[in-house]
Amino acid sequence: MAARFLKLCKLFLFIQKSNIKTAFLNKSDALINVIMMTINNLSFVFMWWVIFENKGSVNGWHFEEMALLFAVMNNAFATFALFARGIQLLPEYIDNGNLDNFLTTPQSSLFLISTSESTFANWGDYITGFLMYFLSGYVSWKSFWLMVLCSFLAFVLLYSFRLIMSCLAFLISDSQRLGDNIFMAMITFASQPASIFTGWYKVLFLTIIPAGFISLYPVSIIKDFNWPNFIILIGGVSAFWIISLLFYRWGLKHYSSGNRFGVR
Amino acid sequence: MTDIIEVSQLTKKFKIQKPSSGLKSFFKPEYKNVTAVDKISFAIKKGERVAFIGPNGAGKSTTIKMLSSILYPTSGTALVNGLVPWDNRKKLAYDIGTVFGQRSQLWYNLPVQDSFALMGKIYDLDEIPFKRRLSKLVKLFEIRDLLEHPTRSLSLGQRMRCEIVASLLHKPQILFLDEPTIGLDVTAKEIIRDLIKKQALEEDTTLLLTSHDTDDMEKVCERVIIINKGKLIFNDSISALRDSYLNKKYIEITTEGGKKIRTVVNTKEKPTKQAIDELVKKYHVTDMTIENPPMEEIIKEIYSRE
Repeated sequence: MAARFLKLCKLFLFIQKSNIKTAFLNKSDALINVIMMTINNLSFVFMWWVIFENKGSVNGWHFEEMALLFAVMNNAFATFALFARGIQLLPEYIDNGNLDNFLTTPQSSLFLISTSESTFANWGDYITGFLMYFLSGYVSWKSFWLMVLCSFLAFVLLYSFRLIMSCLAFLISDSQRLGDNIFMAMITFASQPASIFTGWYKVLFLTIIPAGFISLYPVSIIKDFNWPNFIILIGGVSAFWIISLLFYRWGLKHYSSGNRFGVR
Repeated sequence: MTDIIEVSQLTKKFKIQKPSSGLKSFFKPEYKNVTAVDKISFAIKKGERVAFIGPNGAGKSTTIKMLSSILYPTSGTALVNGLVPWDNRKKLAYDIGTVFGQRSQLWYNLPVQDSFALMGKIYDLDEIPFKRRLSKLVKLFEIRDLLEHPTRSLSLGQRMRCEIVASLLHKPQILFLDEPTIGLDVTAKEIIRDLIKKQALEEDTTLLLTSHDTDDMEKVCERVIIINKGKLIFNDSISALRDSYLNKKYIEITTEGGKKIRTVVNTKEKPTKQAIDELVKKYHVTDMTIENPPMEEIIKEIYSRE
């Protein structure tokens, strides 16, 4: 088991090396994209800073909470875009039959699909993420590790949700855009102060569009760790993870492949 | 010799949405069942080179995809090297190699050698045996000059040679080739056929090759399975097929005045060479093409004799 995991880690590193090599075919382009991504993120942060400067707080949230949310959100999205973005292309792979290539190897098809695409520009999200953590004012070793852990859990949630959306392609052809739009809606909702979602909205954002597991619980856990919130977060993320895997497995049984000409 | 592939009553049906307009179809879409593969049974022995041919939409690719663990069947059973493909996907992957002529398993932007290295890691190949194996295949398929080129810059024929090498890196016992010569020119087709056959003979690899080009099966394989509309209609040696159905040649000549003359020669009655000599003697020939009967005609003939 340990040897198998070690081999998988080695394969992961090798694939990442190849992805970086591909991105660095044009070095200056890659680096400019990272800088532009950081500037783009910071302009969004600036907009919220202006709002909080003028309003003081939004339902009890101040700029500090918002900065923590940006830290979690940006780090989670950077992890997704750099190491698992391939899952976003699953509908395309299903439609044109390229999924076949991943199904005939001895590795996990999900692992190979996920790592098949990487967007180098999203290193800019990590820069923003860590910068926002230091700007939040909640800086300590404990909060730092909690932020890293919550960012990872938020990444697992993003990944699971995107996998469920991508699996729609097993049912509906040409669903790439539909999946992209729902995924972007989830990211948009997860980037708002969690305090504005109360009552039925809160239920909605913890079930159908699970943005609350990125905004609401991580911020409260990093600020002031408590076990009930942490267990809810772990439980919610695990549930989405399991559902997404079951949906993918179900999809494979109904996969009909395709024969569109082209290359990976 | 033991059977390395055993297929029994294998069936695959696809549910396809009926095209219709209006809101009703949006909320309550109608579907129809299409039978792509219909209760086919056959067996292939270790080291055999079998052509799986039929016209477009006959069910060739669907069958290969079930045998290579990509698709789940609707019913029936199959054993590939003793394993049920769709239940043993990862285990079976070490025993089989797949080449799909219509798509690539190489990374588009990476140099070919990097794609090979990545395939080596995916198949858990140790460094030294991998290098030795790659070196052998590079020599056999004559691709040394292509190794540093990114896949996107290769011609279709060059890419196909690299695709086959990629599928052979882990030394599979069975190689599934789905239309490996599709879209290639005559010369490239010849090269690919020769290389596939040479490799299979050298390593005793079992081949299952789909094509709708009868030349592919004649040049590479020893046995042929023909399917049409999902049903198996012929399963015998190439020589049996040649004697019964491939005994015609279509010769088309262009005369000096630009006139085209097409003639059919029964090779059982008259050798092709003799027919050509007669035509050359009779006309001033400026161009000539010789073709096998098209797949559709062979199938029509098989049905008519039933």
